[in-house]
Amino acid sequence: MTDNKVYYTVETGDNLICQKCGIPLVKTEAVFEYLNNSFPVELPACPKCGFVYVPEDLALGKVLSVEKVLEDK
Amino acid sequence: MDHFKERSTRDYFQKKLYTMEELFKRENRCIYEEPAFCHAACPLGLDAKKLAFFIEKGAFSDARAMLEHITPFPMILAYGCDAPCEKACRMNEVGEGINIRGLERAAMYHGSPKGGKGLFKFKKKQKAAVFGSDLFSLFLAGELARKSYPTSFYVNQKDAISLLKDCAPFLLKDDLVNEAKRLENMDIKILYSSNLTKEFFESEKDNFDIIATSRSFLDMCFPNDIPNKETLLAPISNILSSQDSNPSVLQSIFDARRAGVSVDRISQGLDPASSRGEEGSRESRLYTNMNEAIPSNQIYEPENGYITKEAIEEASRCIQCKCEECIKHCVFLQDTGKYPKKLTREIFNNVDIIMGDHMMNKTINSCSLCGQCTVTCPNGYDMAEICLDARENMVSTTKMALAYHEFALLDMLFSNNEAFLSKPQVGYEKCKYVFFPGCQAGAIAPDAVFKAYVDLSKRLDGGVGLINGCCGAIAKWAGRTAIYEECEEQLKNEINKLGNPLIIAACPTCKKTLEEMLKIEVKGIWDVLNEIGLPKGALEYDRPLIMHDSCSARGDSDMQASIRKLTNSLGCTLKDVPYNGDMSECCGYGGLVSYVNKELASKMAQSCTKDEDVPFISYCMACRDRFAREKRESMHVLELVYAAPAGNPPDISKKRKNRLSLKRKLLEEIWKEEVIVINPEYKIVISEDVAKILDERMILEEDVYSVIEAYHEDGSAVYDEIDGTLTSSLRKGNVTFWLKFKKDEPDVYIILGAYSHRMKVRVRYE
Ligand code: SF4
Ligand code: SF4
Ligand code: SF4
Ligand SMILES: [Zn+2]
Repeated sequence: MTDNKVYYTVETGDNLICQKCGIPLVKTEAVFEYLNNSFPVELPACPKCGFVYVPEDLALGKVLSVEKVLEDK
Repeated sequence: MDHFKERSTRDYFQKKLYTMEELFKRENRCIYEEPAFCHAACPLGLDAKKLAFFIEKGAFSDARAMLEHITPFPMILAYGCDAPCEKACRMNEVGEGINIRGLERAAMYHGSPKGGKGLFKFKKKQKAAVFGSDLFSLFLAGELARKSYPTSFYVNQKDAISLLKDCAPFLLKDDLVNEAKRLENMDIKILYSSNLTKEFFESEKDNFDIIATSRSFLDMCFPNDIPNKETLLAPISNILSSQDSNPSVLQSIFDARRAGVSVDRISQGLDPASSRGEEGSRESRLYTNMNEAIPSNQIYEPENGYITKEAIEEASRCIQCKCEECIKHCVFLQDTGKYPKKLTREIFNNVDIIMGDHMMNKTINSCSLCGQCTVTCPNGYDMAEICLDARENMVSTTKMALAYHEFALLDMLFSNNEAFLSKPQVGYEKCKYVFFPGCQAGAIAPDAVFKAYVDLSKRLDGGVGLINGCCGAIAKWAGRTAIYEECEEQLKNEINKLGNPLIIAACPTCKKTLEEMLKIEVKGIWDVLNEIGLPKGALEYDRPLIMHDSCSARGDSDMQASIRKLTNSLGCTLKDVPYNGDMSECCGYGGLVSYVNKELASKMAQSCTKDEDVPFISYCMACRDRFAREKRESMHVLELVYAAPAGNPPDISKKRKNRLSLKRKLLEEIWKEEVIVINPEYKIVISEDVAKILDERMILEEDVYSVIEAYHEDGSAVYDEIDGTLTSSLRKGNVTFWLKFKKDEPDVYIILGAYSHRMKVRVRYE
């Protein structure tokens, strides 16, 4: 998928700090990829080292359901 | 590894599951869609089962609509029919058959006619005439009117009442009046008091395209012109009339129906004798098990018919004949809500889909491949074969996602790599025997396996080797042929190294799988123990037990008998239950259901152990484990034989640890090999609650260690200032694992939670 639609956005509070770089995570353009499909999203990530954070409710909610749909495509 | 390369939704490979012929051959075994016996016996095709169904629900008008649909004069049918349906009714075998005509009458009395005339129909061009009155001509006139032929009906009676009285003298007075009204409301031009002579006929006949007569009128005009049995056309005069000169009521009605078909074909310029479709009564291939039918007699029908309550009661005696033999005992089929024929077609179509949603994938992977349906079905339907063929097909065309079975497959590889052990007995290079306990035995009851090996190697002569690993069943069930073949090569190699010894299996599935794989006979440890006797210290068990036969022992009466001989020598009393032996249900491990559909696997285990407070004994470690997980007391026979109770069921991580420690113990204590264990320089604390979450989410302790190890090295994590927790992640194979933890003292990690996903995530660079 090449369009610029963002499928999901996670708001970043200022409580999340990159442990390695010691700076706060910021809302960043990221992408989920699975079985040759990709989905642009916005997730908290470290602006320095690029560590992307996937919160638990996102992983077990939206991500899981999209996985299941793609698996049976 | 190539086997664990994810599929792409953009690759298209296509392979038919079966040819149409192969598909029909399978589907035709399932007679679920066959008509009930009563229905098949009716030449008019009245579905008496459905009629009884409506009446039982009190839907008299629906029942009445069925009758009015099937014949122009339902009351004449309800009173005059000789009712082959009633003779065919299966309730005759356990009491009295259903009073179907009584129900028909009740439908007519208590149901209201369906409102509205329906769609406006154009009149047909061909004009029809019916001369003379008998049941045949009366019903044919009705049929022709319904088919929208402009119909003239010449009768010598003076009115409708006398006409009906002559044709159906058996009708009660009120019914007579009603059917007469019905006739008068039909779109028929009735010419009462006609002078029905041959001359009159000759003078009128040229005005019509289609001519039918009563049989006596035909005999009068054309004495030797006998109508054809199928088309009801008299060959000389081309007149439609009844074939029999004195037909029964049903025969007249059926002939009128078929004459109507002839009229349609003639008016379309077609041969009336061909392509007439299915007509008349037939034998049903349906199977209905009468064992559960409660014997009962007919509800007495008063002369003026049942009141509604009585009709409902009579209808409720109908057992709604159907075949659900397989469904009754299979939780999987119940869960799909489908019968095998339908399910097979949907699976076939699912396999065929190139682009689009494969809605049946989970279903295909939820059959336990247990083979019970093949035993319960009167025609031996084999759903397991179809589901396994579908899995193999879809794996080979890369249509089946790895996610369904990856955990189980990795677990199998673990059994055959890290936890694998293959050794000759100390002091031997080649062995006469090799003990093959199976992957689940080591995972669930490692002590019993250890003791069994020690015992066998002491008491059997000629050397007893050990192969501790997986037989390949997991890859087979997953439809992953390539992994299965690798396993085959590995095992063949090891067995060969041991001098091709006789395999002693401790699991019915291993025995079956290895026999198929190696084309040799494999012995069960139960056979060996029956031969050499119990070891010292075997536990006696004096409470009654229920034997749960493994699905892999289905059809193997020797194995079933041998295991009972063994439990007998242990002093066990077995309680008889209807569902064991060949009829045994699956515990939910078979076919990898417990990995794909946990809820269903639970239901399967519960169904195996329903209503019983008695502990279960089995000879398959997976059954033992599945029941214990459902909080049922269960044991494997080897736990008794070797006085090695395995206790509470282990979680997924413990199952791995058990296999590793068994290997270590065997190596150290039997083969005197030193095993070096590297302990990490940090400590991980997992509470019971967290362990439960890990088990549920299929996250291994090993995965937890991997994430911490990675964090330990590189320090990537998110720190949450609010609660002071750290969250770190690691991509392992096709899964990203996330771990939430706190660091208490230096190098002590307290795990607070874990989750995973299969999608890959990264920052977008544009
Ligand atoms: S037992 Fe099941 S598969 Fe066999 S005929 Fe009946 S419904 Fe069909
Ligand atoms: S029991 Fe009911 S369904 Fe079965 S044959 Fe009799 S009337 Fe028909
Ligand atoms: S193989 Fe077993 S689980 Fe599958 S349909 Fe038949 S009885 Fe049910
Ligand atoms: Zn950083």
